[in-house]
Amino acid sequence: MVDFSLTEADQRLQAVAHRENEIGRKYAREWDRNSENEPSRIRGIHPDVAGLESPHAALEREQEQTSGLVIAEALMDMVSATDVNLRDTGEDAFGSWMLNDYGTEEQKAKYGHVKLAIAITEPGAGSDPANMRTNARYDPATDEYVLNGEKVFISFFNKFDGAVTLMKGEPDGAGKTPFMTVVVTKDLPGVTEIPQFKKLGIRSHELSGFHLQDVRVPAIARLDADFGKTMSKFNHNRPLVAAHALAGARSMLDFTHARLAEAGLKVDYAKGRSARSANEDRLIRMEALWEAAWGTVMRAKWLEHQMGSESHGYRVEASVAKALGGKVVRQITQGCLEILGPEGLSEEYLAEKWFRDVRIADIYEGAGEIQRILIARALLGYKNELN
Amino acid sequence: MISFELSEEQQIVRSTMAEFGKTVLAPQARRLDTDSCIDDGVLAELWSTEIIQAQAEAVEEEAGSRSPVTNAIILEELGAADATLALAMASTMGFVQAIADQGSAEQRARLLGGFAGETFQAAAVAMMEPRFGFDVSRFQTKADKAGDDYIVRGVKAMVPLASRCSHFLVVAEADGAADAFIVPLDAAGVTVVEPKGALGLRALEMAEVAFDSVRVPSSMRLGEGNGADVQRIIDSARVGISSILAGLSRGVMEYVIPYTKERIVHGAPLAQKQAIAFNIADMHIDVEAMRWLNWRAAWALEARQPATRTAQLAYTYAGQQAMRIADDGLQAFGGHGFVKAHPLELWYRNARSLSVLEGAAGV
Ligand SMILES: Cc1cc2nc3c(=O)[nH]c(=O)nc-3n(C[C@H](O)[C@H](O)[C@H](O)COP(=O)(O)OP(=O)(O)OC[C@H]3O[C@@H](n4cnc5c(N)ncnc54)[C@H](O)[C@@H]3O)c2cc1C
Repeated sequence: MVDFSLTEADQRLQAVAHRENEIGRKYAREWDRNSENEPSRIRGIHPDVAGLESPHAALEREQEQTSGLVIAEALMDMVSATDVNLRDTGEDAFGSWMLNDYGTEEQKAKYGHVKLAIAITEPGAGSDPANMRTNARYDPATDEYVLNGEKVFISFFNKFDGAVTLMKGEPDGAGKTPFMTVVVTKDLPGVTEIPQFKKLGIRSHELSGFHLQDVRVPAIARLDADFGKTMSKFNHNRPLVAAHALAGARSMLDFTHARLAEAGLKVDYAKGRSARSANEDRLIRMEALWEAAWGTVMRAKWLEHQMGSESHGYRVEASVAKALGGKVVRQITQGCLEILGPEGLSEEYLAEKWFRDVRIADIYEGAGEIQRILIARALLGYKNELN
Repeated sequence: MISFELSEEQQIVRSTMAEFGKTVLAPQARRLDTDSCIDDGVLAELWSTEIIQAQAEAVEEEAGSRSPVTNAIILEELGAADATLALAMASTMGFVQAIADQGSAEQRARLLGGFAGETFQAAAVAMMEPRFGFDVSRFQTKADKAGDDYIVRGVKAMVPLASRCSHFLVVAEADGAADAFIVPLDAAGVTVVEPKGALGLRALEMAEVAFDSVRVPSSMRLGEGNGADVQRIIDSARVGISSILAGLSRGVMEYVIPYTKERIVHGAPLAQKQAIAFNIADMHIDVEAMRWLNWRAAWALEARQPATRTAQLAYTYAGQQAMRIADDGLQAFGGHGFVKAHPLELWYRNARSLSVLEGAAGV
């Protein structure tokens, strides 16, 4: 049966996520201003939430009573903007997740205790990994790989111990250089970390990168994970990227509704277009964009719930959610700031921050254009003919 | 509990309607538009689906067996074949729904039987009015109390299949609030104005209907005692229209895909150009988004949850994006989209037409 009701557990979990966001709100401005320079202030579990069950733990505990674990996770993500992460507990170590999924017992024993980022992007290769230059050469004399190259835009590399790094191996007989993944830790000679990037938004999301110069790693550092496996979490993550940004857009819309209500405009969904002011009409259209994207996130997550996260059966829907979410959050936050006018620019409020924060959603984890290529290929039955 | 699972019955209805639309309705769309009239043969084929009859009969069985979600699914499938014929059904459905939903026991018993027969029986909600700036929040049609009766005065516009309707559900202002009155076509003072022709949905012969001091007994005020919930009729209509728009949009996309794969320009298929391929991706994204919005609003109507906001958003989104999709679809065909050899120009007209209507459908 088609059903859009939320279970009581879904709603309780949304409330938990919302409470956490509200607690963090008072630090939002300060962290936005300072964390790129002083990341130390965002380490560990913040005292304000130390005694509270984390949203993540609540989800684990309640999952049986939800609409589905991955569905509830997305519902929690969409509740309101998460301006700051008050619990820096290493859940954002995506490389460690990969080690966990694809590493051997021996590899887990060696690297299980370190926190690892995931390093794919290079200055000359983002959307198109074929341009990747970072490479590994095997040295049979020492049973080591020798690594050279450069990785940029690596989330949290500065605070972690290293990164699961995608690179090119040596040419095979046909002259093709296969992708391979290698665990790179910062303690190795020849690994140089680059300073943090300064960004438009999500400033407490730390971003750096590294150079590799003749870095020698033991053969055991190579994971049995090719390009496809590196990307396998994308189907799960892409709708969540949309969900996160939709949360920012939700806060932006709620803020805009509240400010306009103070100014005497309350949106009425009952009447028709001819009876609306321009601002009312725009708000309704932006609400429609938001709910449209919400539906595609829910659809992808419902399919994931049915098929299992590792399935490729919902990959088009994951791209649909990512593409639409990434688009609408741009339109919504741009539109709200226009409606709010000059007062909305002030750093006294978070509106201008949400405008900056959500912009990333249409770029990372596959930019909007890349999602459209993937969707169009599926619809048209194309592969590389469309690129 | 969030679920997109269709019941077995819904899956069957969906595939049956898709097949019916493709094989029976779509091939007639161009001819009907040219003739600006739906012939009895096509109406009989529509009636043979028994969709309307099922709405009328469901009341006697159990109220819960009418499903706005199922109706939204049906209307998307019909809309993918031809929006005009989808609206021919949806318009009558809107009337029957309103009676089934809100009519008194007496009204249901008296009227619904008329929609359970062998031949197509049209009826319509008469909501819109013939003036620029009309809005569903302010009606000029008035119903004034006169003893036990109401006197209805005003003109309604864009009523589908007006001259074929047995009844109109006339939305009028009574005692300062919107209310709805059941008026037979043959009541004294009712005149169906000669259709003027319209941009799109031409075969529906949408017409003005004038109500010149029509005397309507209180027993024909929808729901009798407390009067009608007109907003619920508007909400249901919005979801009906947006469901047809989702279908229309999907029809455009499904027509554009094979053509652009075959059409060679500058040495490669059109579909391999990103400007075209990205539009196709966006069509797919929007059709999906529209469908889930429609289902959600229909679900809210079905579950008797507040539906006004979701219905408005489904309608707003579908209206906006369907116009864009029909526009991009036409553009992808170039001159071939502008001439009548292909249905793009028809869909372009229908998308604009459908998305500005209010009250003319129901789920
Ligand atoms: C905050 C942040 C965090 C990040 N975290 C990580 C991380 O943890 N690990 C990691 O490896 N990377 C990370 N990235 C990198 C991110 O994944 C890339 O920025 C992204 O993949 C885009 O690559 P690019 O920046 O090189 O842009 P480009 O690939 O140069 O793209 C530029 C523009 O061209 C478009 N484009 C590209 N190819 C096509 C095409 N074929 N057709 C049409 N248009 C096209 C793109 O959509 C984009 O609009 C992060 C980036 C940011 C900003």
